[in-house]
Amino acid sequence: MGDSKSDVLQGTLDLMVLKTLEAMGPLHGYGIARRIEQVSGDTLTLNQGTIYPALLRLEQRGWVKAEWGMSESNRRAKYYSLTRPGRKQIESETENWERIAATMARFLAPSN
Amino acid sequence: MRPNMTRPGISDTLRTISNRIAAFFHRNRLDRDLDAELRSHIAHAIDENMAHGMSRSEARIAALRSFGGVTQTRETYRIRRGLPLFDQIARDFRYGWRQLVRAPGFALTAILTLALGLGANTAVFSLINALLLRPLPVPHAAELAIIQVEESNSDGPSYSLNEPELRALEKRHDAFSSTSAFFSTKFQLHGTSGSLQVPGQLVSGEYFATMQVAPLLGRYLAPADDVENGGPAGYAAVISENFWRTWFNSSPNAVGSKLIVANAPFTVVGVMPRGFFGADPTRHPSIFVPLSSEPVVDAPFNMIASGWSGNWLNLIARRKPFISLAQANAALQAETSAILLDSHPNAFALDDIRTNHLHFVAESGAKGFTYLRADFRKPLMVVFSLCGGVLLLACLNLASLLLARAAARERELATRLAIGATRLRLIRQLLIESLLIALLGTAAGLAVSPLVSNALAVLLLSRNPDAALDTSLDARVFVFAALIAVLSSILIGLLPALRATSGNLNEQIKSGSQARSRRDSRRLLPRLVMGTQVALALMLVTGAGLLAASLTRLYRTNLGFDPKGLVHLQLDMDKQPLAGDALLRWYQQFGEALSHQPGVQGVSFEWGVPLSGSGMTTYYRNQPKNHEQLLYGNDVAPGYFAAMRVPMLGGRDFRWDDTSAAGRKVILNQAAANLFFPGRSAVGQSIYTYDNKITLQVIAVVGNVHYRSIQAEPPPTAYYPISQTFYATSDNGPPEPLKKSYFAVIRLAGPPAAFAATARNLAARMAPEIPAPAMTSMTAQIDESISSERMMAMLAAFFGLCALLVTAIGLYGTLAYATSRRTSEIGIRIALGAQRTHVVRLVFRENAWVAVTGCLAGLIATLFASRALASILYSTSTHDPLILFASVASLMAVASAASLMPAIRAARIEPMEALRAE
Repeated sequence: MGDSKSDVLQGTLDLMVLKTLEAMGPLHGYGIARRIEQVSGDTLTLNQGTIYPALLRLEQRGWVKAEWGMSESNRRAKYYSLTRPGRKQIESETENWERIAATMARFLAPSN
Repeated sequence: MRPNMTRPGISDTLRTISNRIAAFFHRNRLDRDLDAELRSHIAHAIDENMAHGMSRSEARIAALRSFGGVTQTRETYRIRRGLPLFDQIARDFRYGWRQLVRAPGFALTAILTLALGLGANTAVFSLINALLLRPLPVPHAAELAIIQVEESNSDGPSYSLNEPELRALEKRHDAFSSTSAFFSTKFQLHGTSGSLQVPGQLVSGEYFATMQVAPLLGRYLAPADDVENGGPAGYAAVISENFWRTWFNSSPNAVGSKLIVANAPFTVVGVMPRGFFGADPTRHPSIFVPLSSEPVVDAPFNMIASGWSGNWLNLIARRKPFISLAQANAALQAETSAILLDSHPNAFALDDIRTNHLHFVAESGAKGFTYLRADFRKPLMVVFSLCGGVLLLACLNLASLLLARAAARERELATRLAIGATRLRLIRQLLIESLLIALLGTAAGLAVSPLVSNALAVLLLSRNPDAALDTSLDARVFVFAALIAVLSSILIGLLPALRATSGNLNEQIKSGSQARSRRDSRRLLPRLVMGTQVALALMLVTGAGLLAASLTRLYRTNLGFDPKGLVHLQLDMDKQPLAGDALLRWYQQFGEALSHQPGVQGVSFEWGVPLSGSGMTTYYRNQPKNHEQLLYGNDVAPGYFAAMRVPMLGGRDFRWDDTSAAGRKVILNQAAANLFFPGRSAVGQSIYTYDNKITLQVIAVVGNVHYRSIQAEPPPTAYYPISQTFYATSDNGPPEPLKKSYFAVIRLAGPPAAFAATARNLAARMAPEIPAPAMTSMTAQIDESISSERMMAMLAAFFGLCALLVTAIGLYGTLAYATSRRTSEIGIRIALGAQRTHVVRLVFRENAWVAVTGCLAGLIATLFASRALASILYSTSTHDPLILFASVASLMAVASAASLMPAIRAARIEPMEALRAE
């Protein structure tokens, strides 16, 4: 595990999950995965399974919490929701991401 | 900058770790939870896909495809969740356990050999810890110092000082904040039902100030208590917590109550806390009394009155903070003459300084002081090195067995390497297997080591019944045990693990078990390990042989008398009414009565029993002007030499009517006669006391007797008739009648047990006031006098046998493994017509090489290492050819027997079966 490529992916994935939960409220893993796929359209191919280690990581840090409930299709599912530190984290991560995106944009802008 | 934005803070990290640890302990529940969640995910996906019109199976396949690998997710998740290293290690432990259970014979041998090595080491270490390492449980023990005296004319430092020296040192406070003395003895305590003996200590005024342990109740003894008659309120005493509990039932009123010690009242002024025992770690006094009360509690002795000539006190002082030991020594050195002039008659003091360079020396006293330390340091170190040898042997043995076993597992390991296990991972797993063996061995060893160390302590202290060694397992012992357990598991496991995982796996898998191509280089290592083991075993066996030979020679030494059938009765006459001539007549009548008992062949009396450690010495001259010589002395009754079977070389025995009025008589042994009257007959000559006040006429010369020890040459000895010892001569006034206590010496023809009862009844009838006389046999006395030699020889013999056994197991085990892996090769050889005897030779040769080179190496190592034993061996050379030969022969015999079994089994291999099995 743990080489730099997946780090990048993990970092973005974490923020995507957090943002999804912020937008949608409590949601189960499949719902989160589908939502990310829908929002990103065709630009991102996601192995849905990778969402679970990410969810665990967020849960271990105390940014999301999980509890079992019933889904709209009447199946048992584990629902994840943002915690208070999780909400605060979104702010700082969003800022951070925007800074990186802006930096990258400057590098990628056509120059002469 | 890492683009990973979810950089957690410290609290996040901590939470992660605690979550992971919690998860580690709830693995199963969490696994079920995850599985449920993943199933739910797939089910939702299938639902959605079917809603889009797929069939159930299409929906399922699509769901799984978009999920990615379920197993991979689960594994990543698990790694993320728990403590992967812990998980793996726990798994390795379980795996190792299964491996052990699968080969119970190997496991049991391994654990028992290690338990032996580790248990013995821990047991001996806890003795060493108790005697040599553990600091006194007092505040700032490092500041304590023991004060001793060094003189140029004595063999070593003397730790016994006299009372005037103490008083002179006590006054000075330049280097030491306090200086104190102590003397351990038994106190005669008056209880409700008669009197009993309790361990006690006489301590000088600043003793407790030196110890700096606050009392549990009341106060401790101070300099004001250490004065003649103990001050206005009489003598004070401090008691131990244990004594307070048993004697006073933990009553708070104990302080202020009275104890009657040796018929004198002592007021309890304080109780010391539990765990306080003073400055001697081998003593646990119940009662501490001021030194000034010595004439009272120690009666009939009076060491204080003996002044500068009585060296009986141990001194312990506390250095001032910031004064180093070197500075303290410099201060002592500077004051030596002043101290000596304060405490000795001027002429003696100046003589001691000028000619003997007498000076006081302070050494570290952090561990307190006990005479036992000097006596037992060497035997303990010898035993400790023997134990270390046995442990090393056990480890090498297990290493070689594991090497052999690892060779058998080469294919398994090679396969695992091939399918992606890292070498580190396999090494860790193999090391954990050996750690498991080491842990089980240590646990078994720790369980028995207190028993062993207690037994050893009893054996060591047989001559010091009042002393006790606290061999309890403290932190230091546990650290030691853990350390050697880890070291041995590394020693055991690392070599086989490195070896087993280094193989070229392709070749391994290709060639199968009949691979013999790399035989030479690959087989050198196990042979080296086995060879070292044989060498070590030879060293241990030779060491045991030397110690045993030395012990046998100690027992065979002609002591100058016949110890077989000789017993002693201890007659304690202090507390009965007879004294002087009346008591002398009692002894004569008691001896007469004893001699009429069945089985008694001779009866006499003596003051000092040979080899018992008690002795008196006096200076004599053969001419009033000649230089004086030191003679060992003993008071004996008529018939002593006959009863002891000491040869009479000329002159006559003492008679009961040899009273002082008839002139002072003495009998010399041959050594004394040669010293004073070389080349002429001593009988009829006279010797003079060093002050020329008393002249003694030599009436006989007898054979030499080993009084001091078996090892030491018999001392030049003077025997005095007990008929001349019952009055103390004094310069002014009439002679004072004494109550002398003597030992009855009895030569028995029959068993001593029956006689013991007879003698007790007789004593009870003739002297009802005295305590029942204790009987000891001379052979028991001899055993006691060489208890540390016996301990060393017994342990060495035990370890030697273990070494032989362990080596046999090692040689047998490795050869059996190696041979079983050559089954097909041997089968082919036999099929091709090899003789069975040839096969036996072929297999046997493998070990013969190891045994012979190991023995040679061991012999060379033994010749060097045995020098360490030289100083404790008695008339036995460290190169004793007989012992060396016997050791090599026994080791070779054991090695041959162990190697022959696999060889014979190999010769019975049926070629067809062997080839079919392949």
